[in-house]
Amino acid sequence: MFVNGEPRRVHADPMTPLSGVLREELHLRGTKAACGEGFCGSCTVFVDDDAVASCLVPVGLAEGRSVRTVESLADPAGALSPLQQAMKDNDAVQCGMCFPGMLMSLTALLETNPSPERRDVHEALVGNICRCTGYERIVDAALTAARAAGAAVEEDAS
Amino acid sequence: MTVPTAPSLYQPTSLDDAVERLAVAGPDAAPIAGATWIMRSPSRGEPFHREYVSLARIEELRRIDDDGATLTIGAAVTHARLAQALAGHPALEALRQAAATSANPSVRRQATVGGNLCARDFAAADLAPALLSLSARVVLAGPAGITTTPLSGFLAGRDNLPPGTVLAHVSVPLAPVVSAHARLTLRRAGDYPVAIVSVAATLDDAGVVESATVAVGSVEPVARLWPELAAAMTGRPLDADEAVRTARELAGAFTPRTSVEADGWYRLQVLPTVVGRAVRALESHGRDRT
Repeated sequence: MFVNGEPRRVHADPMTPLSGVLREELHLRGTKAACGEGFCGSCTVFVDDDAVASCLVPVGLAEGRSVRTVESLADPAGALSPLQQAMKDNDAVQCGMCFPGMLMSLTALLETNPSPERRDVHEALVGNICRCTGYERIVDAALTAARAAGAAVEEDAS
Repeated sequence: MTVPTAPSLYQPTSLDDAVERLAVAGPDAAPIAGATWIMRSPSRGEPFHREYVSLARIEELRRIDDDGATLTIGAAVTHARLAQALAGHPALEALRQAAATSANPSVRRQATVGGNLCARDFAAADLAPALLSLSARVVLAGPAGITTTPLSGFLAGRDNLPPGTVLAHVSVPLAPVVSAHARLTLRRAGDYPVAIVSVAATLDDAGVVESATVAVGSVEPVARLWPELAAAMTGRPLDADEAVRTARELAGAFTPRTSVEADGWYRLQVLPTVVGRAVRALESHGRDRT
């Protein structure tokens, strides 16, 4: 499979959860393994174009496909993505356990809906649980990132 | 001590190959599509099968075809794709709602139509009642060929299918109905519904119900039709309050299940309210249509 753009060969059994392979074999520890049942969202990654719970993806089904993890969001020089930067600027990060999954779900939202309403952000995060209960600042930051991207597009067009 | 062998995964690209492989392997093997139910087998205390035969790379099972009379949905179509595709089919609103609101967004991008109907202990499946209300049929591929059967019969008999049987497609008649789907969860986010009601009806120009189909999920272990309530609604104008009263009178027909989320008595208690919500949504879709 292609992980964050690089071809990777793994040795795990095919029914091993992708989340475990990313963390244990490929050492991409940004993907968190918490509930293991697709309820909490902390292990969300992209498989091809879909943000999915990687604890429920058997690694065998990811064979030949493209996997993007939270480590792919910042550019190789370390500059944060606009969404990550907005989270930092809004002081939205708390313990960090849910956060990589939140970023991946919100990246998926902004890729399909660049101008979301607050309600759209709430709906996109239905499957991402934050036990620090820091939701509202996360939602604020997502909307800030969307508005900033929209303003940049308008500026380019003018 | 024997060490259990890790399950293997076979990934055919044709339906014939999948059927043959499953038929040869017998009960040691099972189909897998989105994997969201099967990957949680260990947490339910269920052992994995020795082999899984993936339907994910079989192109014909990933398609949704519309010939004007029937919508044919491949078993490996995800909930998210189905919800998107149904935006242009107002008559199938019950199914769109079911596909768009079950579980959570990431599970909907992965979980499939076939899996939702084949996960035998999954009482809270949303697509099952929605498809029942729309009189869907399932197309089964097996060693003896293709058979088509009403979904209600499939759900009742799915434990006894011969090895090698694969639910290949679901076909939904494109009838001039209005339909709605209502589900009650204890919290807003991600919970399994306590009760699910899907209703489809044909209305005459005056808004009187000419025919109705009502299906209930999550109350009993397997989703099923509620013909007595459908009969009571027929020949009258749509009336949510009346439907709630009738549902309360008829709810004794169910033998509700108790699980960690809710007791059986509670499911029965809320069922009429969920019926009311579905019929109210139907009233509003009916108004939109006229």
